[in-house]
Amino acid sequence: MIGGVFVLLALLVQVMFVNRLPLPAGGSPDLVLLTVIGVALTRGAGPGAVLGFCAGLLVDVMPPSAHLVGQYAFVLALVGYVAGRGAGGPATTVVLCVLIAPLLAAAVGGLISDPRVSMSTLTQQVPVTIVYTVLVSPIVIWLTTRGRQARFST
Amino acid sequence: MRDSRRARLILGALLAVALIVLTVDHRTGDSSPLRPLRAAGAYVLGTAETFGGGVLRPVGGFLHAIVTAPSAQDRIEALKAENAKLRSGLVADKLNADRAKELKQLLGLSGTGGYKVVPGNVVARRGQPGFEDAVQIDLGTADGVRPEMTVLNGDGLVGRVLQATSRTSTVVLISDPASATGARLEGGKEIGVVHGVGEYGRLVQFRLLDSTAPLSRGGRIVSFGSQHGRPYVPGVPIGVIERVESTPGELTRIAYARPFADLTALDVVGVVVEAPKRDPRDAVLPAKEGAR
Repeated sequence: MIGGVFVLLALLVQVMFVNRLPLPAGGSPDLVLLTVIGVALTRGAGPGAVLGFCAGLLVDVMPPSAHLVGQYAFVLALVGYVAGRGAGGPATTVVLCVLIAPLLAAAVGGLISDPRVSMSTLTQQVPVTIVYTVLVSPIVIWLTTRGRQARFST
Repeated sequence: MRDSRRARLILGALLAVALIVLTVDHRTGDSSPLRPLRAAGAYVLGTAETFGGGVLRPVGGFLHAIVTAPSAQDRIEALKAENAKLRSGLVADKLNADRAKELKQLLGLSGTGGYKVVPGNVVARRGQPGFEDAVQIDLGTADGVRPEMTVLNGDGLVGRVLQATSRTSTVVLISDPASATGARLEGGKEIGVVHGVGEYGRLVQFRLLDSTAPLSRGGRIVSFGSQHGRPYVPGVPIGVIERVESTPGELTRIAYARPFADLTALDVVGVVVEAPKRDPRDAVLPAKEGAR
């Protein structure tokens, strides 16, 4: 429940604030993804997948949106599961999830022949996003390893 | 082991549900059964964004000032120089001739083109998560905004309204890769289509339908207009061509244009609720550089 509140807050901050900052090279860190990863890390695979799914639905419905409902529900459910399962330490898990999430999103977009997903998206947009998100991710790693019970406990 | 099997089961079920929802939404298009969900979400969350916008605006402005500080320094220098020039012009009583023109520009794009515009603010922006380039504005059906209306700012075309709730509406920018705008080269009758190419709105692609027509750097593009002015009204400045791509043997020619409106830092925009009676043609284009 508390995880859901964090996701909602992260999403609001993302669309109202972070996306509007004209950062160098365009693009911006994906805070929603990081929040899902962080909560899933502390809560395990099953709850991670459920939270990811709900967060994804919220991302799909949150205005302004022009893509299909379900796209990010799919991506974030999978990411939540992977983050909950864990792959090595928390740091490697976070980096792995940050890497696979935009690629998965692009793959799902490609499946439904979304005109927004093309080669130039993969070569220009996705790497910038990944770099920014990885730059912010130490905060999530620190928060989850420092106080497992402190922040994300219900 | 048991727990991991359960987790896998949950994951499988959720992924299946997501795919089903995605397929239903994709196949049904405009008559999608998920439309009420989307509208409800847009209403509730859009209202939250409108209220939050007032709180976050000063913070955003401050950070924006920090991020753009290096270029702001240049701008201050340029403005100082311009200020000095203007002051000397005032003293020398040279401004009189230019003044009428400046005042006319102050009246804005809407006055020149004869568009009826409702002004509003951008409250949220998409970019992450998602691949679309869209913004949420604090104007809705209560202000007379309907889907498929043109959105512009003082510099040029911004996009079109995708959906509107009572208080907020979603605007797809011209830099969105899925948007296509009818456009026309300045002066001539050569028409083409402007597509977004992502790149966060720094460039848009202009595809000229006649491959033999002259197309050069510095050429300016205005909107061509759609039937009944929906979604695009005619005559709105779009951008200036930065580079022309050589496409030998192709049916269309491709150029990349820099939009007049700064799509990376949008704030005040206007929705055209009433198209002009006559196409303003090139009258709304800004004065050519150096030809003042």
